[in-house]
Amino acid sequence: MNRMRLIIPLVFMFSLQSMKSNAAEENEPYDDRYCTTCHGADGRGNYGVQAPRLAGMEGWYLKRQLESYRAGLRGVHPRDIEGVAMQPMAAKLTDESIADIIEWVGNWEYRPSEATIGGDAMVGRQFYNACATCHGAEGEGNQGLGAPALAGQNDWYLVTQLKNFVAGYRGNLPGDTYGQQMSIMARTLASEEDIVNVVSYINTLGKGE
Amino acid sequence: MAGFVTRREFLNLLGAAGGTSAALRAGSALGLLPVTKTAKALDLFALGTNSKKVAILGGGLSGLTVAYELGKRGYECTILEASHRCGGRVFTVRNGDLIDEIGNRHYCEFDDDPHMYFNGGAARIPSFHNNLLAYCKELDVELEVFVGENNNAYFQDDAFLGGKPVRIKDYKTNVRGFLAEMLAKSMSEQEMNEPFTELEAENLLSIIRSFGDLREDGVYTGSSRSGYKAEGYTAHGVQKDIIEFRDLLKSRLGGRTMSASEGEQGPPLFQAKDGMDNIIAGFLRVVGQEVKYRAMVSAINVTNNGVEITYDQDGVRHSLNADYCFSCIPTHLITGLDHNFPADYVKAMKYVRRGDAYKAAFQAKERFWEKEDIYGGITRMNNRSSSIWYPSGGIHKNKGVILAAYNFQGGMYYTNMTQEERIESHIKDGEKVHSNYRSLVEKPVTIAWHRMNHMLGCAARWNRSFSGWTAEEQLMFDTLQKPVNGRHYVIGDQITVHAAWMESAIQSAHWAMEDLDKRVRAELA
Repeated sequence: MNRMRLIIPLVFMFSLQSMKSNAAEENEPYDDRYCTTCHGADGRGNYGVQAPRLAGMEGWYLKRQLESYRAGLRGVHPRDIEGVAMQPMAAKLTDESIADIIEWVGNWEYRPSEATIGGDAMVGRQFYNACATCHGAEGEGNQGLGAPALAGQNDWYLVTQLKNFVAGYRGNLPGDTYGQQMSIMARTLASEEDIVNVVSYINTLGKGE
Repeated sequence: MAGFVTRREFLNLLGAAGGTSAALRAGSALGLLPVTKTAKALDLFALGTNSKKVAILGGGLSGLTVAYELGKRGYECTILEASHRCGGRVFTVRNGDLIDEIGNRHYCEFDDDPHMYFNGGAARIPSFHNNLLAYCKELDVELEVFVGENNNAYFQDDAFLGGKPVRIKDYKTNVRGFLAEMLAKSMSEQEMNEPFTELEAENLLSIIRSFGDLREDGVYTGSSRSGYKAEGYTAHGVQKDIIEFRDLLKSRLGGRTMSASEGEQGPPLFQAKDGMDNIIAGFLRVVGQEVKYRAMVSAINVTNNGVEITYDQDGVRHSLNADYCFSCIPTHLITGLDHNFPADYVKAMKYVRRGDAYKAAFQAKERFWEKEDIYGGITRMNNRSSSIWYPSGGIHKNKGVILAAYNFQGGMYYTNMTQEERIESHIKDGEKVHSNYRSLVEKPVTIAWHRMNHMLGCAARWNRSFSGWTAEEQLMFDTLQKPVNGRHYVIGDQITVHAAWMESAIQSAHWAMEDLDKRVRAELA
């Protein structure tokens, strides 16, 4: 339905093109499918703007995060730089737009992200035992527990988010139950080195899919 | 009196730091400006019966320059533009236009009239940006003077005279008077005379007196340069009171105001008549048929004999094979595409930071500034909104569009606000200068370049230190300037050492095309 909404004005648009030389159309229409500007081609993440991979993200988790952003439960702490950038982008989404985005994102091919950090995965493995309880031994996620998949996510994003959980930039608001749980768990990681090591271990997971 | 120095001690400090000759050398700081040279006639090989395909990614000024020049030489160009418009940061907003800021999309509601526009990006053309000016001439883009310096505009700082706005001429005239008086007094000291001949010393004193409008004895007692308190035509003018030197030094805005109209921002400046995007329209009159709009690149694959581009348009994935590719996609967005670029090329792209410049504008219900003797020019404020720009054109018409805020370096402050918060902040700032501002302005537009769809940033920032470029930064720049396999060029003001100017975008395109030209000549020889 939404795709039709986009295509019809586009057809109309080209017939008007000659009327305005430097733009495609007067009163340019738009929809809410703008995720790939930041999140990269087919939502595979973009280090350049620190926007994580969406391709392969579970629909239920994406929905919860978009709703959390919209409700001001995420991306409001001024030190959560990327979250603060994301929050207004979700703030105006309707339930229909969110459903449309989830359907759209679901069409993108899942490819694990490249490893970009150099931690000690074997050390990280010991820390991961605690993570595995909710996120699964292979980082595959667990909808029943509300824990998203970690395997295949951009490692730089996971590092930033763990740091944000530890510092209280994410998961510190009443109402963000899952975030609060995660914040408590993240604080068992004592140092940035621990964080880099555990994410390095996550980098080894789920590559067989 | 710890923490204070007398005027005499201050002069000694100057002397200790190198004396008069150091002060003279400091005056050549404008040498940092890029070297002026005449517009380059590009000597590019015309293909004749040979055929070459070129993919141009992004319809920004550099991309259009490539399409225009290579098109003239027989290259077959295709421009893929991700958004609904060409021009990138050459963006003029008029009635009905979409401001596609992600999270804050809005349409411009200015009255539909040719002079009711706002240049949300590029807004000034220095008279020595020769390549840009040459294209304006060649493409028949009408130019007019942009009034940047206007000493009748205001200077406002909460820390200065209780926040009361004064005219820039009041601030400048008094600062110059006191500075000149200090210099004149120092010149009367025998030891300071030594480096000069008698004639030089006499001329220097004359310059100093003229600079500050001093009395013959070298004392500053006010000046008619800032206008009169009353009369001055049919009766003798009454001189304005001097602003005390100590008061002038209360404002941190002073330095910025004294230098605001120098160098690249000094007169004469130009703008395209009825909106800067008329430059883009000029290029599109020639190459417009080659543009595919809302065509968003998803992959760039450089091969041994060309470049394979994948892009999405109308919900359909397309491919485009070309011999060469020129990309003015911002580096921070290229990193999110599928590509096969070498690691050092990607490292450079990941290093460049994106600018966060921010601008806002209002439609004014009446041209209230003209009632205050202001025609064009810029009011300077020591607050986050920073400036009010009055339009250079549309003089004496009923309404006008004013710039309400321009924050080049610290735009995230506004970017992180809601539209309502931004507008309220600009109104509060503007009210300090124009008391009934709130009731005089309407129909706001705000442009936070950091969030503009398909751009997500203003001018690229290569160096991270005030002391200049490191060797590593220079190496990364050189890497990214060179083509991959002789096939893929990154272009735009982002691949210059002088970002944020249209001239830079053009010169980047010229650099890339001249590099291409050597390769093509060698191949076809």
